[in-house]
Amino acid sequence: MIHIHNHHAMATIFQVRLAGEEATYAAQAARALFDEADRLEGWLSRFKASSDISAIARLQPGETLRLNEATCECLALAREMELATEGTFSITAAARQTQPEPPQWTLDPGQRLIRCEAGRLEFDLGAIGKGFALDRMALELADWECPAFLLVAGGSSILAGEPPAGIPGWSVGLGEDNSEPRQWLKKGSLSGSGVAVKGHHILDPRTGEPAKLRDRAWAMSPSAAVSDALSTAFMVLTEPEINRIMRGRNEWQAFLNDDGKWRQLDPGGQLAFGGLAPETMSGERASGNLP
Amino acid sequence: MVTDSISRRDFMRTTAAASAGLLLASGTPLLGQAAAGPKLKIALVGFGAQGRVLLESLLVIEGIQLVAVVDIWDYARTYAEKYLKKLNVEVRTYENYEALLAGEKDLQAVVVACPDFWHAPVTNACLKAGLHVYCEKMMSNTIEGARSMVQTMRTTGKLLQIGHQRRSNPRYLFALTRLLREAKLCGRLTAAQAQWNRAVSADFGWPRKEAIPAETLAKYGFTDMHQFRNWRWFKGLGGGPLSDLGAHQIDIFNWWLGGYPRSVVASGGVDYYKTHEWYDNAMVIYEYPFAEGVTRAFYQVQTTTSAGGGYFEYFMGDEASIKMSEDPKLSAVYREARAPSWDALISRNYLAAQPAPAVAAPDDGAKVDVRETAQLAAYNIPVSFNKKPHQPHLENFFNAVRGKGTLNCPADEAFRSEYVIHKANESIASGKRIDIAPGENEA
Repeated sequence: MIHIHNHHAMATIFQVRLAGEEATYAAQAARALFDEADRLEGWLSRFKASSDISAIARLQPGETLRLNEATCECLALAREMELATEGTFSITAAARQTQPEPPQWTLDPGQRLIRCEAGRLEFDLGAIGKGFALDRMALELADWECPAFLLVAGGSSILAGEPPAGIPGWSVGLGEDNSEPRQWLKKGSLSGSGVAVKGHHILDPRTGEPAKLRDRAWAMSPSAAVSDALSTAFMVLTEPEINRIMRGRNEWQAFLNDDGKWRQLDPGGQLAFGGLAPETMSGERASGNLP
Repeated sequence: MVTDSISRRDFMRTTAAASAGLLLASGTPLLGQAAAGPKLKIALVGFGAQGRVLLESLLVIEGIQLVAVVDIWDYARTYAEKYLKKLNVEVRTYENYEALLAGEKDLQAVVVACPDFWHAPVTNACLKAGLHVYCEKMMSNTIEGARSMVQTMRTTGKLLQIGHQRRSNPRYLFALTRLLREAKLCGRLTAAQAQWNRAVSADFGWPRKEAIPAETLAKYGFTDMHQFRNWRWFKGLGGGPLSDLGAHQIDIFNWWLGGYPRSVVASGGVDYYKTHEWYDNAMVIYEYPFAEGVTRAFYQVQTTTSAGGGYFEYFMGDEASIKMSEDPKLSAVYREARAPSWDALISRNYLAAQPAPAVAAPDDGAKVDVRETAQLAAYNIPVSFNKKPHQPHLENFFNAVRGKGTLNCPADEAFRSEYVIHKANESIASGKRIDIAPGENEA
């Protein structure tokens, strides 16, 4: 029995699927996870006036703000992903449309302080916040001891735990509903970005121009925040660039759709993290660690 | 020009806003500008959902040091320790307030956020121990409990602030003192309306390995874990949604209207949930008698949709209406066509306006030009602040502890307001209109 619960947060629908649990316990666990998503939205949403992100946007150059722990960690991870993707994932990509130069900021994680160095810090966590929320929800779920779970944020990021009993993974399609071929996923995250819903809305932070290399891209990682950010970067990066940033990152995988069907990139043939496996395969290929 | 209806305290609080047009309080003093002097040592009693909300404000307020956290749930205490350790904040944890008072001898203040029925015992004990107290609303689940808190505050001489945090919100203060009272923007207030509706949700649960032993639950007044986790829904422990949500907003009725109701009639019931004791739906009407006539205020809290317009307090007059909310995006000012010009208010930064396109008025009243429909101007309250919603109210409390200023919501003031909230629940229970005599709501 798989219990499915839905909740509105971060301008989309979050879904918690729990397998093998008693119904009331599953509902209460789902509520605890949704409360965590709401709490995070309160800190991370640029649409909530009392959020940290809104407060950051009001900082003048030279001003400092002490952040909530979650905000600080999310921003630190965002900066890390910006470096790892050679600037193709950036939470200030949209700010390039309203400011001549990218805003500058420094973060002191030890003190949880952010300082506005230049410009207006108009952060948009839309390409990492939902994944970050899934990671935090999984941490909360660990207390509830529900090992078989699938967490979904808006259909674009999923984070899987153990699969339901009797199957090797959660059945995943890359693309439209029930798209073939299906893949098994366990203990890992998959995120997708594309142009089907919002058109060419993803901007290349390096140029400020919309990314038009491909229609869709997916990323896998043990962390949903990381896969969320990577899938956006993979819409911007060329294939050689993707291969370059993934080199030595065996926990990351890329899937691209630029000719009507998806294919997996294989940067060096080292797929140690095989969270996705074709449904036709038997046995446990999936592995990896949750954040 | 400040009218007589504005107290000096209110005036001082809002002068900066008026002169600047925008009140932009920075969330954190710039580095190196932390509050001078020794830090106030404080404890947080109750580390549930509200305790966690307050903690986030406590962590960014300069000049205080959180040294202890109290909760009867080991799971909550462990969470607090781990979370705060991650932030390099070392605290001691205690199961109850008696252990706190025995173990911490240099505390100066406590912040109380435990279940409502524990507010009075905890607050009274802490006040008697010589501590200043910030206690979440409702003061108590009973009128008697709340009254005892006011009396203890008076006999001990210690400060007791109640957590009606909107009373320290710079936007609320500005709108009340500058727009409603000084500028009399609304003209005569004829009605008020407020709401806070909630979508259906599952009851709170608990990780099965974290259940509190039955004898511990009984010791603290709970029959089981379900009741412990969902105490707000149980009579004898909390006051239900009118108390949990309505208390904030009905308090704003009283504060902004500048008086108290003479009667309340309410309807509600346990209509939806099968596992609760308190009403999940309630509609309340208060009647406020004023010299110029009666003002009625309607309040509702419903188990319904999350898309029901959000939570707000709406004050409607014959010249304008002000819609207030903790969420600035839900706040607005609406002008009646008969209202006098607001140009002077706009030029003084009392109002922010998105002006309507000018519609030329011919000199000759017999002439008229016909064109596209003219849009109405949109008005907003030009105040924002870079702080968490509870932070200004907590800062007001800590400043008062330091002798700088007075409390924005002392217990005797809160009692007057909360008394009429208890009466709304009483009206639902009896199915009758309840009259409230002048002075009846004094502690």
